[in-house]
Amino acid sequence: MPKTVRMVAQIIAEKCTGCRLCEQVCPTVAIGMRPRREDEAGKGRNIAILAPEACYNAQACVEICPDDAIEMVELDTPFDVGFDLPPVDEDAVKALCRKAGYGRNMQICVCTDTKAGEIANAIIGGAHSPEAVSLATGARTGCVELCMQPILHLLACAGHGDAPRNPKNGFQWYGQSATLWQHVQPDGSLPDAIRNAFPEFPLDKEFGDMAKLKRRS
Amino acid sequence: MMATLSPFLDALRPPAFHRTWNKREPAKVVAKRAADLPDMTALPIRALMPDLPQTIWSEDALLGPTNLDEVRRQAQAKAQALDWSKIEAGRMVNLIANPHGLQLCGEAYVTMLEVIAEHVRETRGAKVRLRIAESMGHIENPDWVKIYRLEERFGDVEECPQMGAGTKVDTKLGDMYVTKKLFDAPYFIHTHVTEMREGYLHRMLDRLMKPFGMAYARLESRSAYHFGFGPRTGQIVSRCIFESDYIQDRYVATMVLDTTSEGVVSVEADNDLKALDRRLAGGIMRNYGMAMKILGEIEDCVVVFDDHGCGVYCYAGGIAFDNMLCADVDFMDLDNLSLLAAERHDSADPGLTMGKNNAIKGIVINYMAGGVPQPFLWDNYPIHVVGDTVNRWMLNDPSNYHFDRAKAPVWSTLDDAVTAACRDGGTKNVIVFDRTPGAFRVSRALGEHLLSRAPKVREMVETVYLPKWLRQRGLAL
Repeated sequence: MPKTVRMVAQIIAEKCTGCRLCEQVCPTVAIGMRPRREDEAGKGRNIAILAPEACYNAQACVEICPDDAIEMVELDTPFDVGFDLPPVDEDAVKALCRKAGYGRNMQICVCTDTKAGEIANAIIGGAHSPEAVSLATGARTGCVELCMQPILHLLACAGHGDAPRNPKNGFQWYGQSATLWQHVQPDGSLPDAIRNAFPEFPLDKEFGDMAKLKRRS
Repeated sequence: MMATLSPFLDALRPPAFHRTWNKREPAKVVAKRAADLPDMTALPIRALMPDLPQTIWSEDALLGPTNLDEVRRQAQAKAQALDWSKIEAGRMVNLIANPHGLQLCGEAYVTMLEVIAEHVRETRGAKVRLRIAESMGHIENPDWVKIYRLEERFGDVEECPQMGAGTKVDTKLGDMYVTKKLFDAPYFIHTHVTEMREGYLHRMLDRLMKPFGMAYARLESRSAYHFGFGPRTGQIVSRCIFESDYIQDRYVATMVLDTTSEGVVSVEADNDLKALDRRLAGGIMRNYGMAMKILGEIEDCVVVFDDHGCGVYCYAGGIAFDNMLCADVDFMDLDNLSLLAAERHDSADPGLTMGKNNAIKGIVINYMAGGVPQPFLWDNYPIHVVGDTVNRWMLNDPSNYHFDRAKAPVWSTLDDAVTAACRDGGTKNVIVFDRTPGAFRVSRALGEHLLSRAPKVREMVETVYLPKWLRQRGLAL
């Protein structure tokens, strides 16, 4: 589901030290750097610069900024993102979701109510990195705590698990985090080593239900 | 003739609002606290559960001692009993704190942190710095560093958000990711509070380890906790990260405040986190069980948010609203798969974590913070908002883009909002989540209803629920 962007970031140039942290966390790569002019107050050779059309009100930059140099400002005219997903082969979307183990209507980004099918659509339509997925769908521009793994997983299932970082030293994302799902064997069981490693957890019961779901998919 | 003693604590007030990290001042925006609505009272948890342990520290003098002497004494005794020999002189120790401790236990939590830092500096000749593991909603949290003067008291203090740089950790299940700045020293000390929050997630399995899979983890692993495991096994993320070589190489000890709805009942510590967790788990379930289960006795009500929490993390009587949202589900029952429907991977309508509590007839937002997505509220309940400013804060929340789907009417006064919500919902009952410790802020009739149900619920907790919860986990009280 699309997202309405009602606020965007604003750089306070005299406070910005050009440390680049905002650039490294922005999920839509909306922030870059420019040289500080001689007549501009403040420390540091660079100043962050914002591409407002790519700012989706994620506020990650505000949270990471150590210098209180970014504030959010309300837009007079909010804009929508994620409406125009490219037309793609529906069967391919279904196949990618199935490969990832997600239902097409499963909510992946809860903040923006973006479904697995929409993420898959964006990936098949050319969004081959988490940043590109965010720009296309609006997903991953809220808390990011819930959607990160499924987006990385869908990208990996589509053959884009090795997307280059943008910027190179960015840490908007690292790699997929381990899950229990990945250890499911073809016969629907878990390896003994994993069962034995967590005796306090009800893996048999848990896994029994999970295995049924996996077989169904 | 003897007067009948009322069980209600009308004099108990909610904590004041603070300025938030993103410079909002709810105290200047909220014209009236829900505690000041007509006919409201405070129903003490102790009236529901008379054998609740006595506190050594409470936020309000009506509930217990407010001085910090006993917290300090117990923390010092525990610090002396722990083995700190792993720490070499002159090296750096990260003392890891979390905002939940600051929110619920305030100066008691800071006192415990101070005792640990002093002890380690004095006995090991080590350097100690405070690292606060920040979570979703950080930017709308009260600015705890300033409120508790943490820089002045600890020197080197840093808040470490979950989207900061990460470190890959090799675990039994594969790669997981933690927040780099929490563990970028040769040693760290883990601290916590035992309160009942997100029980539907941790299921009281490794409860004290939970921050390793959440607050201390990077976004990738927090996300995997939610989406990569079943409804009872997300906590394996916490276990895997804690037991990884990377963490174990640095881990020294854990100290926690053991809490009830009223405040702190003791300071507990151990070098063996798993042993500490098993020692405290039974008591946590016992001490919070009554408060959790009595909420399931509410047949109809309007909920008012009037707190710094993000919706499900607004507190009443020392427990978070998530307990009420799931009050019709025994989520402590490890045989209960009801939450599987919420998180199973092929669900078309997952609702992520929670279902709908049909007793909730409406929600009034007097104030709440953003930062945590709450579509299960906006889509399932009639929502009312007090004031344009709070409404704008909600609409602008990057984690609650759906809020406009609620089509919430905006009322100029709290009284109007509550009146409308009650009228539309066909109820006169009101419960307020305003972080008042030790008591549920309720309309008087609802308070009397809960009091009347308390003996039966208490019996059920003591004879049915608690024995089952303990048995399923191989625990004893």
